[in-house]
Amino acid sequence: MFNYNFRWAQALNSLPRMLEGALVTLEVALLSMVIGIAIAILLTLFRLSGSRILGAIAATWVEIARNTPALFQIYMVHFGLGGFGIHLSPYLSLLIGIAFNNAGYLSENFRGALKGIPDTQTRSARSLGMTPLQAFRHVVMPQMLRISFLPMTNQMVWAILMTSLGTVVAMNTDLYGVTSDLNARTFRTFELFAIAAVIFYLITKTVTLSARLLAARLFRY
Amino acid sequence: MKSSILAMSVIAATGLAAPAFADKLDDIISSGTLRCAVVLDFPPMGSRDESNTPIGFDVDYCNDLAAALGVEAEIVETTFPERIPALMSGRVDVAVASTSDTLERAKTVGFSIPYYAFENAVVANEGVEMADWEGMRGKTVGATAGTYEAIWLEEKVAEWGEGSFRPYQNQADVFLALSQGQLDATVSTVEVAEANVASGNFPGIKIVDKAPMVPDYVALITLREEYGLINYMNLFINQQVRTGRYDELYEKWVGEGEPADLTVQGVYR
Repeated sequence: MFNYNFRWAQALNSLPRMLEGALVTLEVALLSMVIGIAIAILLTLFRLSGSRILGAIAATWVEIARNTPALFQIYMVHFGLGGFGIHLSPYLSLLIGIAFNNAGYLSENFRGALKGIPDTQTRSARSLGMTPLQAFRHVVMPQMLRISFLPMTNQMVWAILMTSLGTVVAMNTDLYGVTSDLNARTFRTFELFAIAAVIFYLITKTVTLSARLLAARLFRY
Repeated sequence: MKSSILAMSVIAATGLAAPAFADKLDDIISSGTLRCAVVLDFPPMGSRDESNTPIGFDVDYCNDLAAALGVEAEIVETTFPERIPALMSGRVDVAVASTSDTLERAKTVGFSIPYYAFENAVVANEGVEMADWEGMRGKTVGATAGTYEAIWLEEKVAEWGEGSFRPYQNQADVFLALSQGQLDATVSTVEVAEANVASGNFPGIKIVDKAPMVPDYVALITLREEYGLINYMNLFINQQVRTGRYDELYEKWVGEGEPADLTVQGVYR
């Protein structure tokens, strides 16, 4: 039994505010991907380095990022660090939380991609006189990024959706935060969240489609 | 022959149409259960005791309302933002959840007359210099998302044009953030502020001042079109005051002193 009369006018009036929120959502997701990819490459290097300590750091990071809820990770960035006197704004807490999660997952993607690149390539590069880092940077990494490009798109979609967890750290400028604020004021729950869902869908669809177009251009053989 | 068919169809039509006239009030009475949405992280209005049983002013009000209707009470825990979905999806019949009766919300749900009124206090981190409520200007302040005081505070911050506002998801997170110093100050009901300062769960916080807002009248809510039930709830609230039950429950959950006057001087409801 669903006892509800949909009245859209009140909710549609809020559309401009929600679209502004959508921009913030996209911004947080993009930044978290940039940071996440950078850290993931670093973690991959740590694993390849052969150093036990660096390897352990990378392994711990990946284990925590992949095996605990993203909600928990974001909450810990805000309130966990807060307990030690490190106070981050809701925006930063959310960004760092998602970037942490992204880095863990992407690093696993990269590891999988590396398995598809024959070891002989590194050895050939080394025999041409490249340092291990140069061999990675010029020979292995471009292929690794190409192989893991579509999984990266998945992670980007996931990052967009994860921004909705920001409410636990009092984030109120992203799409989900704006929507829940409007909901508290008007109680037009179903209309507002339906609109938010459509906006989320459109954003993620746009991202996946443009990633596919980009891939077709970038990775032509 | 013809007339008997007509008579039959009239009877059938009446029989079929009859349930449509049963409103929520009838449904509750015939189902034998009153399902109330109550927020249980909002002491002293709603919380849980050591054995995890829901207790508090709102819980008792739900029980009283159920007793008046002659049915069993069922407490359904919700958060503040979940109250409305719970109501609309038919998971609960009413919300006895300290819901502030704003005009904006009344466009969506049906409010009874007020059954309680809160005054709000400004609570600050001890490390912050703050003489009165205006000391919040330019500071990082926050409150529980979706509450009356949060809406008030967010508007104040917008009006001041400095400082920032953070809506945390529940009361416990607000006071945790305040205790850690992530927030400089918050506004919460006097009842909650005093309970949290006294509990010692959140060290390093102090009550600064009363917040200068209109008392936060809270009402019972149900679906907007359920006039029968709204009428019943209005009379119920009136009887609670008339019989002294309101005073009794105030003393039980809030403490000594006068409960808030639920009438507004100079105007009819």
